Amino acid sequence: MKNILSATCMAACSGALALSLMASTASADEWPTKDIHLVVPYAPGGTTDVLSRRVADLLSQELGANVIVENRPGAGSTVGTGRVARGGRDIDHTLLMASPGHTIGAAIYPGLTYDPVEDFVFLQNMVDIPNVMVVPADSPYQNVVEFIEAAKEENMTFSHSGVGSSIHMSGELFKTLTDTNMTAVPFAGSGASLPALLGGDVDVSFENMPTVLSHIRSGDLRALAVTSAERSEYLPDVPTLSEIGEYNLDQFVTTAWFGLIAQSSFPEEAQSVMQDALAKVMQREEFLDFAKQLGAQPGTVAGDEFKQFITDDLQRWEAVAEQAGISQ
Amino acid sequence: MENFSEVIQLFFSLENFLAIAAGVVIGVVVGSIPGLTATMAVALALPFTFSMQPIAAILLLVGIYKGGMYGGSITAILIRTPGSPASACTLLDGYPMAQQGHAKKALKAALYSSVIADFISNIALIFFAAYLAKIALNFGAPEFFWLICFSLTIIISLASGSMIKGLMAALLGILLSLVGLDSVFGSQRLTFDNYNLMDSISFIPLLIGLFAIPEIMEFYRKKAIPHIKAKASGVGLTFAELKRCMKSIVRGSLIGVIIGAIPGTGATAAAFISYSDARRRSPNKANFGKGEVEGVAAAEAGNNGVAGATMIPLLSLGIPGDVITAIILGAFMVHGLTPGPIMFQENLSLIYALFMGIMLSSVILLVVGNVAIKYFSLIADIPKSILFPIVLMFCVYGSYAVNNDAFDIGLMVAFGVLGYIFNRAAIPAAPFLIGFILGPMFEDNLRRSLLIGSNDLSIFVRGPITWFFIALTVGSIALALYRFVEARRKAQQGDSTSKSA
Repeated sequence: MKNILSATCMAACSGALALSLMASTASADEWPTKDIHLVVPYAPGGTTDVLSRRVADLLSQELGANVIVENRPGAGSTVGTGRVARGGRDIDHTLLMASPGHTIGAAIYPGLTYDPVEDFVFLQNMVDIPNVMVVPADSPYQNVVEFIEAAKEENMTFSHSGVGSSIHMSGELFKTLTDTNMTAVPFAGSGASLPALLGGDVDVSFENMPTVLSHIRSGDLRALAVTSAERSEYLPDVPTLSEIGEYNLDQFVTTAWFGLIAQSSFPEEAQSVMQDALAKVMQREEFLDFAKQLGAQPGTVAGDEFKQFITDDLQRWEAVAEQAGISQ
Repeated sequence: MENFSEVIQLFFSLENFLAIAAGVVIGVVVGSIPGLTATMAVALALPFTFSMQPIAAILLLVGIYKGGMYGGSITAILIRTPGSPASACTLLDGYPMAQQGHAKKALKAALYSSVIADFISNIALIFFAAYLAKIALNFGAPEFFWLICFSLTIIISLASGSMIKGLMAALLGILLSLVGLDSVFGSQRLTFDNYNLMDSISFIPLLIGLFAIPEIMEFYRKKAIPHIKAKASGVGLTFAELKRCMKSIVRGSLIGVIIGAIPGTGATAAAFISYSDARRRSPNKANFGKGEVEGVAAAEAGNNGVAGATMIPLLSLGIPGDVITAIILGAFMVHGLTPGPIMFQENLSLIYALFMGIMLSSVILLVVGNVAIKYFSLIADIPKSILFPIVLMFCVYGSYAVNNDAFDIGLMVAFGVLGYIFNRAAIPAAPFLIGFILGPMFEDNLRRSLLIGSNDLSIFVRGPITWFFIALTVGSIALALYRFVEARRKAQQGDSTSKSA
């Protein structure tokens, strides 16, 4: 009897253990177990925000869980990013939409409380948006080489949408590589900087493609080059800067990238669930159409490749920020 | 017009009408909640528009924008808590009116002037878009610099009572506006290495703290404020009063239109400029700040005049002048439309259908606003001992909601204390706000001009627009000095006659 009892007891215990083990594997399979928070480190309404809401919508369809967009703007993107890096409750269900601000912010703001590479896991680069080197329609410069020759003689001004934006840093990178005389003129956002370029108050800008595409097509602005590695399908006749082949411009490849990352403690199971779901999202027609509207190419790197990409990006901006004497 | 039937077809759909109506209602409600701004509502509504028809999608967002612009004035008038930054100016006269038992009158004045300004702004958008867009492009940094200089001279007229106190408040406002990242070098200024201050001091917690908190503190300090026995909501606006305000409303609307057409200035500045202009010209100058209905009308006309006009650079140039129009631009692009000169050639019917919807939104705002006033004005009848704890909750919530950050609640409390000191020392808050809003614009455009002109000062006198604003600035200062000297001479004369008597 005693034996039977202990045997039953054993069986019950092992059963319970097995059950609990099963339960734990089941719940890991079932990630997400609650609502997912997608932190957007910018205010509502910008490209990052609009993209995030679109991705959140599609992602929640793939995962069958709510994906809630949370805007945590401030100090470039460093306030929202810092929050995710610090962790806390629900960190295993928290994502961050990272963009060039992630690396540029780390390059120009001293004393950040987080490491932009080591404190995160990198899930998927969602889209890449090239910048375009544009001059006003009545500008005398027909191509990049003419512009550089002139900029070696006299001082040129370039407008940008704020210190540390990809538009600003692209201008600084151009200045550094080509060793030309250029002065950065800051504006509060592209909406304010574009009239200065259209009105001819500044000589050149390295604007995000979607902002200037219609002005290039209407003939108000002239595109001299795009900053991506390949020519853009939207402006097939415009060369890339790296094609120029002179003035160290072969090293000039930058895009405004947008990708999902999470804090380093983000569970591995969740990473694989996320990567699968994101791969599906990126094949959806709605996503591809949306990317097209943004003038963007779907991102190509994920996981470790994405991490390497961020590491390289960070190193480059650190070098540019130091040369340009920004912030520090 | 051969496309007329197409326009009618595009416009007259149930979806469009529902979108406008829903937009205006959402806008008024969200705008009236402190901390929830029209910008947030527009951003949050954007994903819902992805699946809508393009015209309905845009009209929904435009409706929220217009409703929100008015909605902010409701709480500004009733509980001295501006629902959105642009309505900060409305409370200067709106709240005193509510205190005097004229809440309904103030709300109606705000509504009618909002609708009229909105209408004028729409007319400007429809008929003068191309022309105004051209002016906007000629408005570079030096022109902006002089516009701001002229606006700053307005502080002189707002410093009621003591000029010294007014200047003190203005300079403190400018000083606090310096907090944040330097716009040219990105270095930190007065942030004390605090990340929360890197994006400068958050405007909404500042507004809530400065205005709502001192009122609550004052109530508990005095403990027993006598209850107003009569219905505090009072009577509405009479036609004679509306007629009296008409000049200020029209001028305010035009100021709003011009400022709205220039990318990057914003409704808050327009409201203050319109208010100051009205005050300078009004025969009831002395009553401004104490509950003058014309002050409410001028402020609301200024900020609503901006709403239609910000669509001018968006539609004709494809340039968004503020965050809201940037989101609307996003909505256009999601539907495969690119605002700009090309859209006027390729999608003209769509633009006209859109214009009809925008006009209709003004009418709907009038209807929705009237219903809202009927219920909201009841708030003025709630005893303060019940109302103020609720207001305090909204203050905390509203300050937190802007950035989802508890730091902003601390900021609000700090500005509450500052506002209380202002009240006790009779220091006017309006010059402080103008300094805080215009200070950074002054600095940025000065530095921008110098950068563009490679430190050549001649850029500041480069064309007719700069000359025009220089003349206005000099004239404004000269007038103020003349009045100051004149007042002093009269006072001395008065002294000597009283002595001789």
